[in-house]
Amino acid sequence: MPERMISCAVAICEALTEEMARDEAIFIIGEDLVAHGGIFGQFKGLPERFPGRVIDSPISESCIVGAGLGAALTGMRPLVDMHFADFVTCAMDEIVNQTAKIRYMFGGQVKVPLVIWAPDGAGLSAAAHHSQSLESWFIHAPGLKVVVPSEPADVKGLLKAAIRDDDPVIFFQHKKLFAREGPVPEGEHIVPLGKAAVKRPGGSVTILTYGSGFYMSMEAANELAGMGIEAEVIDLRTLKPLDFETIADSIKKTNRAVVVHEACLSGGFGAEVSARINSELFDYLDAPVLRVAAKDVPIPFSPRLENFVLPKVEDVIKAVRQVTYR
Amino acid sequence: MATTVIMPKLGLTMKEGTIEKWLKQEGDRVEKGEPLVEIITEKLNFQYESPASGILRKILHHEGKVVPVTTPIAIIAEEGEALPEFEAIKSEVPIEAPMPAAAVRKEMKEHRERIFASPVARKIAQEKGIDLSLLKGSGPGGRIIQTDVISAVERVQTEGARPSVPAQKPADKLIPLKGIRKIIARRMTESFRDTPHFYLSVEVDMSAVQDLKERVKDEVEKRAKVRLTLTDILVKVVASALKEHPIINSRIEGDQIRLLEEINVGVAIALDDGLIVPVVHRADQKSLTEIASVIRNLTRRARRGKLTLEDVGGGTFTLSNMGMLGIDKINPIINPPECSILGVGRTVEKPVVQGGEIKIKPMAWFSLSSDHRIVDGAAAGLFLNHIHKIIENPDLLLV
Amino acid sequence: MTSRIDNKRCLKMYEQMLTIRRFEEKAIELFEHNLIRGNIHPCIGQEAVSVGACTPLRRDDFMVNTHRGHGNCIAKGADLKRMMAELFGKSTGYCKGKGGSMHIADFEGGNLGANGIVGGGLPIAAGAGVGIQNRGTDQVAVCFFGDGATNQGTFHESLNLAALWKLPVIFVCENNLYGLSTPVREAVSADHISDRAMAYGIPGMSIDGNDIIAVHTKMVEAVERARAGEGPTLLDCITYRFFGHFTGDPGKGITYRSKEEMGQWLERCPIKRFRERLIKEKRITEKMAKTMEANVTASIEEAVQFAKESPLPLPEEALQDLFH
Repeated sequence: MPERMISCAVAICEALTEEMARDEAIFIIGEDLVAHGGIFGQFKGLPERFPGRVIDSPISESCIVGAGLGAALTGMRPLVDMHFADFVTCAMDEIVNQTAKIRYMFGGQVKVPLVIWAPDGAGLSAAAHHSQSLESWFIHAPGLKVVVPSEPADVKGLLKAAIRDDDPVIFFQHKKLFAREGPVPEGEHIVPLGKAAVKRPGGSVTILTYGSGFYMSMEAANELAGMGIEAEVIDLRTLKPLDFETIADSIKKTNRAVVVHEACLSGGFGAEVSARINSELFDYLDAPVLRVAAKDVPIPFSPRLENFVLPKVEDVIKAVRQVTYR
Repeated sequence: MATTVIMPKLGLTMKEGTIEKWLKQEGDRVEKGEPLVEIITEKLNFQYESPASGILRKILHHEGKVVPVTTPIAIIAEEGEALPEFEAIKSEVPIEAPMPAAAVRKEMKEHRERIFASPVARKIAQEKGIDLSLLKGSGPGGRIIQTDVISAVERVQTEGARPSVPAQKPADKLIPLKGIRKIIARRMTESFRDTPHFYLSVEVDMSAVQDLKERVKDEVEKRAKVRLTLTDILVKVVASALKEHPIINSRIEGDQIRLLEEINVGVAIALDDGLIVPVVHRADQKSLTEIASVIRNLTRRARRGKLTLEDVGGGTFTLSNMGMLGIDKINPIINPPECSILGVGRTVEKPVVQGGEIKIKPMAWFSLSSDHRIVDGAAAGLFLNHIHKIIENPDLLLV
Repeated sequence: MTSRIDNKRCLKMYEQMLTIRRFEEKAIELFEHNLIRGNIHPCIGQEAVSVGACTPLRRDDFMVNTHRGHGNCIAKGADLKRMMAELFGKSTGYCKGKGGSMHIADFEGGNLGANGIVGGGLPIAAGAGVGIQNRGTDQVAVCFFGDGATNQGTFHESLNLAALWKLPVIFVCENNLYGLSTPVREAVSADHISDRAMAYGIPGMSIDGNDIIAVHTKMVEAVERARAGEGPTLLDCITYRFFGHFTGDPGKGITYRSKEEMGQWLERCPIKRFRERLIKEKRITEKMAKTMEANVTASIEEAVQFAKESPLPLPEEALQDLFH
């Protein structure tokens, strides 16, 4: 299938346009969608194309999610835009206690086809309340699926898959990636949930990553190749359900792994993956699994401080060299 | 002018020595004649003196290393003097000569032995039968990693060394095999393995020897200032017998047997850290007084760790008197490269039949272990018989 | 009504409004020159609310602020140099560069900090009130928030609690008629935000937020009530921002607002109005006004210079101040 270079923002728009055209039950609710087309322009054109199906709401996150949930339980397929991932905190009860648990709690009587869409990430001097990566909180709420794509093709494909999924999906995407361009296939393009992708094969080390970590890892892998270390970069894409088979196949080959994510270290997704590798692939490990992550502090404003806190390409290289004993 | 210190050849048969302990460190000043390094040879611990004065500029081989004789082990020179070139000490991954991860052991807070190895390294080691305790890890903290084990596997395949599977008992107390114990372990293993032993025993009536001892002990004591013991008498008896049976006073050298001219009887002495065998040289030419004197002197010096190479070198036959330990019978292992060794048990009053009558006699077991490559049962038997005869009729010593 | 306020106070309020205006203009300029990173949320046009509400306060009274909070900080007595340094991300800033524009705090001056979460400050203000009650002092707490925040659960919970316990809190809504791009009529179900006070049984009023005297007067009343232990008040100050939502908002927020509307509000600029009034009441001459303006410009420049010359924090400082 032929590809073209488009940005994440355009890819999102395409996905939503296609899905909303296909299924009338889909609608979007969030803040500042109509006038602005979303703060990153990702909903551009949609309010006009689908009148009444792109709804601006007051600043009431708990109610936005709650309303989306209520609509999902009663025959609709809403997408709720959290504006910034940091604001999920204002809707934690609705996400964790309600959305995640309702199907299970009620014995499977109902499906919850809700997509919670949340731009996240740091590196823009947006300080503590506008820079977080909170995906690991939601791994810990059974009943939610968690998706964190990196490249435009995956953003489009996974968004379509998430919308078609009958379970609640929380969809994080780094703010910095909106403008980032990448090849996206023409025509129908769906990426299934729960499937990781080996984006760079290699035999020396397995790098497990997602979101902004993917770009860091690829850059590191290029540099490492110059040192004779061939890194296998796996873009996890879906954190829950996790494609452990792809991870296992890789580690059985390389005998060592580094997890790379922008979220802070303690209790980050790296901790979960690392524990799982330890318990299921112990005998294949030649070195402990290392994690490259942000330092355990809120994101500071000053660019020099923010830069210090966030993980960088050289941190990935350092970790890889440690586990390969080079 | 820089002086190269080499592993000295301290005995005729010495092929290699173990550097037990450096008594001076790099940078220290040493004077000629000052003790520089403790070396262990096959026979004993030896403090080697510095051959020159100067600064100990470089130690080329460290403690625990076994090096062949004449190998350079250190350099003494003045400050700023140019040093001769030596090949850098390579760190190998040996299999025959184990070099444990000393750095790792120093860090260990527990007293039990712990091998740090990655899971995949352990897995491969187990599959391929590699003993992890013999490997030096190249990972952090001495961790044995995959490449270390894979290299070892390749070595095993190319060198054909025998793999072994480690048996680990972490709960047991561990005594390191080093120093004199290590040497005994090696030599006895070699002896037991390479020498085809056979054993002859005879029970001997000790009454005549006991009478002799009673009769001459005062005179001996007066002359030698030491008390006469059974061991002294046994040395004289053995030396005398060896004279009549030169085939026993021999050693194997390659594919020939050397019949030795001197009769040097070694006396096995038990010390705290192991067995030592000082030698009574030309025992056949010494009187009982002389033998007693020599043996007492050797024993005293042995207990103080003051034996010289002279004292322990040149033995042609060994006597092991286990009587004082209350042992009836011993089949000793030959002290290589000797032909035979005599073990004597304790003297016990027993009923024996002599001349058709039951008499109570002091009896002792004499057991001779011999190298079947050199002697057959007949030759060894004749020798033992001879000893038997002398013991029961010591007057034969005068003949 | 002006006659009730002494000259000194009037002039001070005027000077403060000017300071806020110049500060914000400078900040925008610096942002455009890439000297300030992140984003600024200027409060240009809303100066009367900030100054009118903060002037009746004492230094030991508390204030809770929003991301559009530079004006309130200045009105509460913040040091311009330290504010500017914080915008520059320097270690001499109020928050040592860790907070930035959206999170300036000055606890010594009673400024409990600006929140990036809409509605995040309301419960905190209520909490300050609880603290005051416990200590038995006559301090008050002012809570600034926007019209958008009145649709947050926290607004309702905080008002309810403050009303129930008669907390000494004044809830000041800086109602600039838009929550980013959403007009207030499309977000707030009541005709007036002040109507919501009724639901909680507290006094509430909607006033011309661009009339500094009106704001000041109502604030004085509310503060007196609070100090006397009579409980909270909701002040809905209707105003307008002359810039976009933030420095990333293209075209000064014209995409969702009309030029006519903007034109109307520019006519009602609080600074322009007060200046005219002061001159009319002969409290100030043109010359004095110009001198004041020049002084304000100079103090802003001084602050910028200070910020530029201040050192950046060391990277390792990012790990400090997490715990005590």
